[in-house]
Amino acid sequence: MAELLELENVWAGYGDAVILEAISFKLGEADSLALLGRNGMGKTTLLSTLMGATRFKSGRMRYQGQDLVVVPAHGRAQLGLGWVPQERDIFPSLTVEENLTVVARPGPWHLKRIYDLFPRLEERRANMGNQLSGGEQQMLAMARALMVNPKLLLLDEPLEGLAPLIVQELLRIIGQTVSSGEMAVILVEQHAHQILPLTRQALVLERGRVVFSGASETLRKDRTQLDKWLGVGAH
Amino acid sequence: MKTIDIIHDEHRALAAVLQALRFVVGEIRAGTLQVDFRLLTAMVDYITQVPEKVHHPKEDHYLFPRLRSRSPKAAALIEILEDQHIAGYCMTIDLLQALIHYQSVGAAGFAAFDALVQPYLDFNWQHLNQEEVELLPLAREVLSEQDWTEIDTAFAANFDPYAGAEGEFKELFGRIVNMTPAPYGLGPAG
Repeated sequence: MAELLELENVWAGYGDAVILEAISFKLGEADSLALLGRNGMGKTTLLSTLMGATRFKSGRMRYQGQDLVVVPAHGRAQLGLGWVPQERDIFPSLTVEENLTVVARPGPWHLKRIYDLFPRLEERRANMGNQLSGGEQQMLAMARALMVNPKLLLLDEPLEGLAPLIVQELLRIIGQTVSSGEMAVILVEQHAHQILPLTRQALVLERGRVVFSGASETLRKDRTQLDKWLGVGAH
Repeated sequence: MKTIDIIHDEHRALAAVLQALRFVVGEIRAGTLQVDFRLLTAMVDYITQVPEKVHHPKEDHYLFPRLRSRSPKAAALIEILEDQHIAGYCMTIDLLQALIHYQSVGAAGFAAFDALVQPYLDFNWQHLNQEEVELLPLAREVLSEQDWTEIDTAFAANFDPYAGAEGEFKELFGRIVNMTPAPYGLGPAG
């Protein structure tokens, strides 16, 4: 698997505060990574760092062999980084279809394919962003990131706050996206048991440091460490 | 132990539909939601078909026999769970008949249907819980690597809880998600 992303000894944070310490990992093209940890351990900060939304202190971040640190935040989406933030950030005054087409870039993901994957969005294509339920907004946020035709998709707690029925449907769709092999995916979640079976690699953060980096399968079997790092209910 | 992932996954899918059923029936009872028989039928169809065609056969044919042969302690528990599989099926058929009656007579049929839903949900929560809390930890404890390899192979050859043999359960689950009113599903709030 060709290498897409490499972080080496990355330190980053907000203002003077250092949140991430000595983060290192590699991700291949079409690879998948579960980014795990309890609340406040630095998961979202790591995604924000990849998107250029934090203060980078030191280390190396290489994307497709080029230095990502020098690429401004607005240029990272153009490089193929698609971000679905926790806040979803959909455009409330645009219709569903406008939300999708306004960000579209050429590639295998186009409107028809998006509607095949999310039939609910096709039904709601003429509705405004602010007329959607929470589950529909999450689907739209994911669909919009796919319309960018990313090489690396970053999903930040996409299941948070959603009812179990919608969670199951989104998990199925995320599983399909991961297994399509068309992009690499970094998936942030607190509920390890739901995403470890979907991903190849896992990274566990504790207080901004990596405490586990390895195969998802290995972590999934290690119930003691799952309990220790993520709490009871992680498996 | 792919088997345990599959069982967890199927339990979550079933639990999600059961939770949505409780919500929908509660809203109808409260008068805040108009009955949608397409939705109720889809839900009852899912909780009838997926356990019977997908979930229970794997447990009954692969996991339970192997576990029974490895642990005398498991035998009593498995007997209880097997009885629950049969009782659960009978309850589902009763629920289905009550739904058909409700659909044919209209609002007058709701009380009989409603009276079956809560015991059905309680029964299933208890059953799922017993498998999660007692069965799976026991299986982890007593089954060998070789046992798991063989059971995993048999489980992997079976249908997944969303796809079914020809994708029918995936479509059914998707319809339930789309029709169930928000915030439990993606349908318009009652």
